[in-house]
Amino acid sequence: MIHKIMKINSLTLKKIRRFKSIKRGYYSSVVFLLLFFFSMFAELFVNNRALMVHYEGEYYFPTYGQILPGKTFGLDYDYETNYRQLALRFAVDGSGNWVIMPFVPFNAYENDLREDRYPPFAPSIKDRHYLGTDAIGRDVAARLVYGFRIAIFFSLALLVVNYTIGVSIGSAMGYWGGKFDLFFQRIIEIWSNVPFLYVIIIISSIIVPNFFMLILIMACFGWIGITWTMRTVTYKERAREYVMAARALGASNTRIIFKHIIPNTIAIIVTFAPFSVSAGIVALTSLDYLGFGLPPPTPSWGELLQQGWANLDAWWISAAVIAAMTITLIIVTFIGEAVREAFDPKLHTTYE
Amino acid sequence: MKNFCKSFFWMGIVLLAINLIPDHAAAVPELPKDIKWLTNESDPIFASPEAKKGGIFKSAILSFPLTFRVVGPDSNSGFRSAILDNQLSLIGIHPNTENIIPELATHWAFGQDKKTMYFKLNKNARWSDGHPVTSHDFTYTLDFMRSKHIIAPWYNDYYTREIDKVIVYDDYTLAIVGTKAQPDLHLKIPIGPIPRHFYSELDNDFVRKYNWEIVPNTGPYQIHGFKKGKYIKFQRKKDWWAQDLRYFKHRFNVDTVVFNVIRDFNLMWEYFKKARLEVFNITFPNYWHVKSKTPVIENGYVHRMWFFNDTQQPSMGLWLNQDREIFKDKNVRYAFAHAMNVQKVIEKVLRNDYFRLEQHYVGYGLYSNNNIRARRFDLEKVDIHMKKAGWKRGPDGIWTKNGMRYSVEVTYSFADHTPRLVVLKEEAKKAGIELRLQKLDPSADYKKVLEKKHDVAWSGWGTGLRPAFWQHYHSANAHKPQTNNITNTDDPDLDKLIDTYRDSLDQKERIRLSLQIQEKIHEIGAFVPTFMVPYVRRAYWRWWRLPKIPGTKHSETLFDPFAPYTGGLFWYDKALHEETKMAKKKKQKLQPVTIIDETYKMKILENVKFSYRNS
Repeated sequence: MIHKIMKINSLTLKKIRRFKSIKRGYYSSVVFLLLFFFSMFAELFVNNRALMVHYEGEYYFPTYGQILPGKTFGLDYDYETNYRQLALRFAVDGSGNWVIMPFVPFNAYENDLREDRYPPFAPSIKDRHYLGTDAIGRDVAARLVYGFRIAIFFSLALLVVNYTIGVSIGSAMGYWGGKFDLFFQRIIEIWSNVPFLYVIIIISSIIVPNFFMLILIMACFGWIGITWTMRTVTYKERAREYVMAARALGASNTRIIFKHIIPNTIAIIVTFAPFSVSAGIVALTSLDYLGFGLPPPTPSWGELLQQGWANLDAWWISAAVIAAMTITLIIVTFIGEAVREAFDPKLHTTYE
Repeated sequence: MKNFCKSFFWMGIVLLAINLIPDHAAAVPELPKDIKWLTNESDPIFASPEAKKGGIFKSAILSFPLTFRVVGPDSNSGFRSAILDNQLSLIGIHPNTENIIPELATHWAFGQDKKTMYFKLNKNARWSDGHPVTSHDFTYTLDFMRSKHIIAPWYNDYYTREIDKVIVYDDYTLAIVGTKAQPDLHLKIPIGPIPRHFYSELDNDFVRKYNWEIVPNTGPYQIHGFKKGKYIKFQRKKDWWAQDLRYFKHRFNVDTVVFNVIRDFNLMWEYFKKARLEVFNITFPNYWHVKSKTPVIENGYVHRMWFFNDTQQPSMGLWLNQDREIFKDKNVRYAFAHAMNVQKVIEKVLRNDYFRLEQHYVGYGLYSNNNIRARRFDLEKVDIHMKKAGWKRGPDGIWTKNGMRYSVEVTYSFADHTPRLVVLKEEAKKAGIELRLQKLDPSADYKKVLEKKHDVAWSGWGTGLRPAFWQHYHSANAHKPQTNNITNTDDPDLDKLIDTYRDSLDQKERIRLSLQIQEKIHEIGAFVPTFMVPYVRRAYWRWWRLPKIPGTKHSETLFDPFAPYTGGLFWYDKALHEETKMAKKKKQKLQPVTIIDETYKMKILENVKFSYRNS
């Protein structure tokens, strides 16, 4: 199918076929992609805004876009409509108006507090807190979903930044070799001896990092990993004839590295990527757990884990986040293993 | 070079001579005739005549002190108060009437110049090594505190800036002269003695030499033994010179006080439940409501006490930086105050255990303006004020004006406060104000706020005996870093009031001005007060007994073994201890006891909706 739309060489096709044949990895990647797309449109499933409101003959779709103040629906306040209450009201007054709420009718920030009871509240289908609430009365399911979205985008973005820096520097080291290589080797050795978690903790206790700043800080230390591999691989590729041919044709160094060497080493980069994604998730979660990650009240798994630890009686908090974490990491690891196996060159080389 | 040395030598001689001159001149001072000696033997006592001596009181500290010195490097630990509390002062303050009461001095008098106080020492006063306490020990305090060898610049400065000199009339009569005339002289002037006979000449070795020395003291207890990193044991002096004085009688009853090092708060709770600690602080809602549901309390072996005090309250709240463009408009500040749903936080997060702080200076007795009420959560008032200031609601519901959104950063440092702020944030959204929470490490937070780089600071100031206006609200401290005017309040009228307050030596005028100043501060509205906790809650094993009124107006803990001001009121009841041990052994249930004492409950709390629901 794909090769009809895009021009893909047969070797890659073979790899994809091979990947598909590894069932565990293939299904994991399907589940992962589903989760990913689901989280992209999480507002439609987990939200305190209604999906659809029918009021006085008009239809409203409040999910995306600006807030609709309570006055829109004949309520007496200027702030955003509380759609859960609106739904109850419409159900009782028999006016023919109605509200369709998402599956989980809470967002990740609001505190659902009660009279005479104190959170955390246990899971309850009646209250529509399917996974209960945390210690401040926020829906655990909502925080899990939005926390997942942030974690996954975070680790993907981190991956891109890390690999852009790491791959460029690594292949430059391997390509030029000599003093340039020696110099960068030393730099990397020194840099990788800096205890990076502590540095991040120190930095984020002074400034409160936002999403992009945190990526930047983590990328400062994260690019090192891939350089060693890229350096070795480039050393090998540089000695190949096609590189010599390109050079003979007068291609510039940049062109040779980016157009010739890197495409030929892509297999290696791809096999490392899934593991980097899970490392990114773990890093963000542990920083959040320690309280040095994204600023509160950003929904985050680490923060949930922290709350679970502080409120061990409220087992649903830690249970939910540990389950979510384990499943995600297992899925990503399965994908990684399958990719690695599919890209294993030994399967495609024939010895004579 | 030689010449230089020589001149240096002569200069030294000359300086020495200059130093000697005033000493000669003041050789035979004479007591002024026009002073009136005062004493106080008639205020009510607050200890219980039923109290018996005896018992061991086991307490805990989180870490072992780095030194027993009370000045110099590393001396400012929490443990220092245990040592300092056993050093009496010349006079004390009665914790209920706030009148002066005798400590080391039996009589005192005020000089006409409003900067001198005269004292007659108690001739029985003894150091723990048997030496009598004399006037010379007070002159030595100045020598000691001003010495460079103690490496304590703050004390060097304080004892130079605040205290001019000590005049000795005879071994038991002295005067202390302050550097300036001031009101409430008796709160500033009285200093404690330092045993001259114990310290030989101070030298560069002071800090090292006195690290673990046990200095003679005048209070009821003295350190008796310690093991570094493990414990410190205090023993009651069997024939303490002050034990029959009116305000010390029946106090400081326990024979031995042991502080064991227990490095974790949760672990302390476990020790307490095993009766290896006598008392536990259960002021936190979580401990009072949830963790208290434990067998030792439910079986009545451990009693709980909720004691309301009436003392100066720390000023917890939100501090708006008026140097920020957005907070220059008074209406916008008022709107901010009306957008803070503090009541909801108290009810839903803090289990109705905390009280609304009405203004910055609550609990200062006559000096507090109890008519001021903090601005309550009120969406209509937010609307009125914001419209008055010319703002409009934006499409996301947040107020806007000229491209500016009402979105401000709230800086704080305690992770435990996040739940409170999260609720405030969600509620403020309804009022059209966006709060961006910024949690910083405590020192980074402190630095940011003192450099006035915050929009809104979530923090609180400690208290003093009298309201301190100048440091927090005078324009002299506005618009510059490292001062305590973190709202950058700069108001000429207020300045005038504060200046008059500071210069006034008349108590009535000062009280009147104090109330007026607080009114003005409320009108400026740059401080949004949040919570106060005007009580203490303790769990204690039932063999510890307290007087009928278990504490004093100013008690911040009920089981302080040493503090001369409010401490040492409790005692050990051996019979009850035996009874409890038997009951525990036989697994017999006793009546669970929770005592709520409202003797000193603040008047302004009387109308507050408040329930003892879970108690």
